[in-house]
Amino acid sequence: MARKRGLGFVGALWRVNLLSAMEYRVPFIMQLGGMMLNNVIYFAFWVLFFDRFEEVQGWTLRDMMLLFAVVASGLGLAMMLFGNCRAIARIVAAGDLDRYLALPRPVLLHVLASRSSVPSMGDFVFGLIWFVLAGDVTAAHVLRFLLAVVLSACTFTASLVLANSLVFWLRRSELLADHFMNAMITFSLYPGTLFDGAARVFLFTVVPAGLTGALPVEMLRDFNAATLGWLCVGTALLAAFALLAFQVGLRRYESGSAIVARI
Amino acid sequence: MPAPNKGKGVWRNKVVSIRVSRLTKSFRTRSKQEGLAGSWRALWKPEWRQVPAVRDISFLMERGEALGFIGPNGAGKSTTIKILCGILHPDSGTAEVLGHVPWQDRQQLCYEIGSVFGQRPQLWYHLPPVDSFHVYGAIYGLDRDATRRRVDFLVDVFELQHLLHTPVRKLSLGQRMRCEVAVSLLHAPKLLLLDEPSIGLDIVAKQRIRDTIRYMRDEEGVGVLLTSHDAGDIEALCNRVIVISDGQLIFDDTMDELKRRHLTAKQVNVRYLEEGERSLPMAGVETVAAGRYGMQIRFDPRTVGVDAVISGLNGLGSMVDITISDPDLEDIIGTIYAENALDPDAA
Repeated sequence: MARKRGLGFVGALWRVNLLSAMEYRVPFIMQLGGMMLNNVIYFAFWVLFFDRFEEVQGWTLRDMMLLFAVVASGLGLAMMLFGNCRAIARIVAAGDLDRYLALPRPVLLHVLASRSSVPSMGDFVFGLIWFVLAGDVTAAHVLRFLLAVVLSACTFTASLVLANSLVFWLRRSELLADHFMNAMITFSLYPGTLFDGAARVFLFTVVPAGLTGALPVEMLRDFNAATLGWLCVGTALLAAFALLAFQVGLRRYESGSAIVARI
Repeated sequence: MPAPNKGKGVWRNKVVSIRVSRLTKSFRTRSKQEGLAGSWRALWKPEWRQVPAVRDISFLMERGEALGFIGPNGAGKSTTIKILCGILHPDSGTAEVLGHVPWQDRQQLCYEIGSVFGQRPQLWYHLPPVDSFHVYGAIYGLDRDATRRRVDFLVDVFELQHLLHTPVRKLSLGQRMRCEVAVSLLHAPKLLLLDEPSIGLDIVAKQRIRDTIRYMRDEEGVGVLLTSHDAGDIEALCNRVIVISDGQLIFDDTMDELKRRHLTAKQVNVRYLEEGERSLPMAGVETVAAGRYGMQIRFDPRTVGVDAVISGLNGLGSMVDITISDPDLEDIIGTIYAENALDPDAA
């Protein structure tokens, strides 16, 4: 039987994830709309804040809109395409990696693409709308924004894979992975100029939220090759570490005998 | 080392699909005393122990053969199958499946084998099976036409016409399992590894699964390695059986040989016309159950003559019915486990 060895299966997984999400029409629409509304309410705080103070160390309300646009669309894109990046610890702890290992595809890519989060579609759309509302919708700026979103999505995915891969050594690290994700989102949504010194180092290493929010917005505010270079290098390094951690950890995988009623 | 029961000469001219030699796998497990104090101690000073799951197992499987792999819970069946699929790495020993070392050539091997883990569904729960078939087609690298042709064939063989467009969540367990087995055959594998495919199914659903697996085995020459706690599955599908217990191989031969070697007892059910006390005090005869109108006994025909037993029973009253039968495979397997002094429920 002739076989295609490309990555077409990833598209098939995304398609079936979408079909699965749309199987329940009302919850689909509610989750999508609910997440957008949630983001709007969250942003209302910054509207009130900037009503009192014109700027925070050089950041204006428009910069915050760009920050929310990049982070929401980046996180949304990551969770839409690679929704299992936040669930690897649970999958491994439950022994559910078996079903991916029994199939002829790269395990990590297969795991990541096997789930799409519906609320994250709301995040993604919210980010696009916020970008348009922030103004400056020129072709060059749109291209830079899309690049920022893609890099942010890669960073979110890689850092969550890295954090979730701890499960191979700790055996139970689901809560730790959840806290890490919350920290990533929280620290991503602060103005980049708010932190310096050790805090800034922390935000580009331990919890690399600087790469998902502050630095991409820096690139949008004042585009230059150096910022883009740092962003690309940081994302590539993180991705390499994540891949390495998962592959090394995979050798420690012990499966399990839990009875799963459904997937 | 428990060597494969077949002599080397027997295997010389056969194509081997699975070759396992001295396979060993253990898991590192934390042991903890019971209660809060035990948990507290384990938190600060954990004690670890190695729990052997598979111990020095060796066997061969011929291409196209149907091999039953049985053993009590915790015997190491699933661990062995997971090693052979490339899911787990062994501690030591070698294995080749269709010429591949599973834990080194996992991806290549997966194109050539199909696997079903009865406890782990593969189909998308909220979608009809047809959508899952097409995703698996893409995962196995089949183009749309090839997938459609194969799906049509499997739908026909497994009689899935009425199930194909119904969401999986609305299928019965038996219907879903038929779809699970069908999807594992989508890429026309040479070998099918089935881990408890009939778990939780009723007798009708089991029979249908057995029939379709037997059909694929006979028509497409698919080799089958099957683990099951249901002796009926093994009896219906396999001509050879391996018994594994406590991680060790304790029997490897044909189903006929298993019966010949372990069918040492005869079972007799007898009913009488009149009411009365029923017991047969004869050396070598065990009374399994006794009532006012009948009894069930068991004896070894090599030590006690059948005619002596019949005349003894005849002397107890006027018989209206008598049945002499062999114990079923379930009992034989139970006896093998018991002979190895193991707790069948040991996890």
